[in-house]
Amino acid sequence: MLETILQAITATTGLDLTYIFNGKHLAWYASVRYTIFAAFFGAALALCFGVIGAAAKRSGFAPLRWFGNLYTTMVRGIPDVLFFLFFPLAFEQLIEYLFSFSQCTAAERAGGGWPPCTAAQWYLSTTEYFLMACVSLGIVYGAFAANVIHGAMGAVPRQQLEAARAFGFSSRQIFWRFHVRQMWAYALPGLSNVWMLLLKATSLLSLLQIADIVQWAGKLGAANYFPRAGLVHGDWRWKYYVVLFLFYILLTLISEKIFDYLQRRASKGMAIER
Amino acid sequence: MENLLASSALVAFVTDLKLLWKPALFNVYFAFASIPVGFPLAIGLALMKNSSSWPVSRFARMFIYAFRGSPLFIQFFMFYSIMLAFNQSLWKPMGIDGVVLHPLFLGPLVLVLNTSAYGAEIFYGALRSVPKGQLEAARAVGMGRANVFKSVTWPNMLRLAWPAYTNEVVFLFHSTALVYFTLPVINEQKDLMNKAGELFEKDYNVFLHFSVAGLYFLLISVVIFFVFDWIYSRMTKHLDTGSAGKRKKLKIRPQYVR
Repeated sequence: MLETILQAITATTGLDLTYIFNGKHLAWYASVRYTIFAAFFGAALALCFGVIGAAAKRSGFAPLRWFGNLYTTMVRGIPDVLFFLFFPLAFEQLIEYLFSFSQCTAAERAGGGWPPCTAAQWYLSTTEYFLMACVSLGIVYGAFAANVIHGAMGAVPRQQLEAARAFGFSSRQIFWRFHVRQMWAYALPGLSNVWMLLLKATSLLSLLQIADIVQWAGKLGAANYFPRAGLVHGDWRWKYYVVLFLFYILLTLISEKIFDYLQRRASKGMAIER
Repeated sequence: MENLLASSALVAFVTDLKLLWKPALFNVYFAFASIPVGFPLAIGLALMKNSSSWPVSRFARMFIYAFRGSPLFIQFFMFYSIMLAFNQSLWKPMGIDGVVLHPLFLGPLVLVLNTSAYGAEIFYGALRSVPKGQLEAARAVGMGRANVFKSVTWPNMLRLAWPAYTNEVVFLFHSTALVYFTLPVINEQKDLMNKAGELFEKDYNVFLHFSVAGLYFLLISVVIFFVFDWIYSRMTKHLDTGSAGKRKKLKIRPQYVR
């Protein structure tokens, strides 16, 4: 069906569209799912970690507060790429370390090599690697989100909360219906920033050997030579990377529109300058 | 036994510190090569965005949007492959292919484009919030456009933008970690991430090597931060007289990252 349509277009306009809809290209377009899934799943996790981090920062229990501060400070001094590579590897090794107690002999564990014995080695599938990549996105950008949420919690006018107390609302009601409800209006601009960062960071998935849009673009663009067909095309990588460049700008554009709408909704009836 | 373990861990740590200080210089080089060019470009772009001429402002807006709206990782790949595409027709005949395609040239080039877009947005914001009263006062005492810019707009803009620009520089330094993931590594010219990855592949000690690399990033970030804070304190010295010399402290706020 698709093929006949494409051939018809090619016949009438002279544009060879069959090439950009061949199997490999369709696989490339399909690999966008990794990017989109990582962005949404990563963002959901980042929001969770952000809320936890912000709660830890505001906690009355000092060690928890220190942990919260450490968590939100770490992203300021160390690049996100480093964490992005570190977390999956560290998690993998932690699991292998736990495995090694049951799988390896004491002599092997004292040996000092890694992994202690082959039985303890954990072979990860692509899906598992991908999920870990999402988790590390969540951890890194959760730290950013924690900063934003912490700031936004502080930005809610105290008078609003005092007024709520004067009306006789309980602490729990004040927290959820006033503090958290109003917090979003202050947090959204910052969270929109974090989302943009996270979206752009999804391009790093290929560093963890995931066949995402970036890796496919590199493969498809490389000089294509078949013994039977000869040189199909030379080095076309720049064309594919320009497409990716435009694709990410488009994603940013769409996200911006959505966040504008959310911001208008969240600050409805509130005296917040935009 | 415990003692031995502790000392061997320490030895490994010190060895890593020694192994990684040279790679750290590559990251420092990339940042240092991009900032002096990126800074004036950012200010130029901010002024262009603020320009009343439609095409000029439009161009600056599009440039800033494109470079802030796409990942640096893709920008590196894109520029490298575009440069490669011109290799046979342009660089080779001109005899500059060795320079143009060299990561030590191409890396800072892409970083400059990227940081000038981020910087421009910061300076543009500052430009918009230069106190109107001061501008009007300057006009009232009869200053020309150039003089108003020199004595009112420029110092105010710089002062307002400095804290955010400091963060931009720190994060520019962090993004130098991406250079050698995208550009070819030549001989022993390796940066922190690269070398840490190489060391990791030898003994799979992810905690040691990545921590030491992270430590270098952290240390250099702190140094950058203090240098910029010192400049800021000089810039705002005359503003201290009021509230018992308490000026606003610079804070690293991770908002402008690529």
